[in-house]
Amino acid sequence: MGIEIIFKITAVGLLTAILGQILKQMGKDEISTIATVAGFIIVIVMVLNLIGDLYTTFQGIFNL
Amino acid sequence: MEIILKIVGIGIVTCLATMLIKPIRADFSILIAIAGGLMIIFMIINYLTDIFSTFNNIIQISGLNGGIYSFLIKIIGIGYLIEFTAGICSDTGNSSLGDKILLGGKIVIMVMALPIVMNILEIIIGILPV
Repeated sequence: MGIEIIFKITAVGLLTAILGQILKQMGKDEISTIATVAGFIIVIVMVLNLIGDLYTTFQGIFNL
Repeated sequence: MEIILKIVGIGIVTCLATMLIKPIRADFSILIAIAGGLMIIFMIINYLTDIFSTFNNIIQISGLNGGIYSFLIKIIGIGYLIEFTAGICSDTGNSSLGDKILLGGKIVIMVMALPIVMNILEIIIGILPV
């Protein structure tokens, strides 16, 4: 838990963008789309985990 | 108090990462901003626990009714929760959805506070000579 998650998301974003460009250049448009969507889903799961942690912490602190 | 340096650092790094990724993939920049905001909240949330344990001590020393205090803590918690959640919704561009979450939280707080209002009314009626 810390600043590394921001670097992770940025790295995944850059990587999927570059990978998508390369795959598109190679003429594999459909695989490029799938790679882009996969990267997006990975990052969304990371952020959702963070939000879930936040809500669990709130439940603990405030006895909601 | 090195925590303030950490918070400031996370803010700057999040800003720079958002700037870096925005021309390449605009949808990731929103997620980076949300993650950075959540990191800052996670850093300060431990101090909240300290504050509330101190309040608890004060309440125990003064001998006040603990039930109303726990109600108050819950209401403060709902306030923070809907504020953060509405902020996340606004970050993703759905500010009207954030407004609706704020409205829902306000109504839940109002419903939770109704028994206290009724208590006060009953006390006032009991004091009044009829």
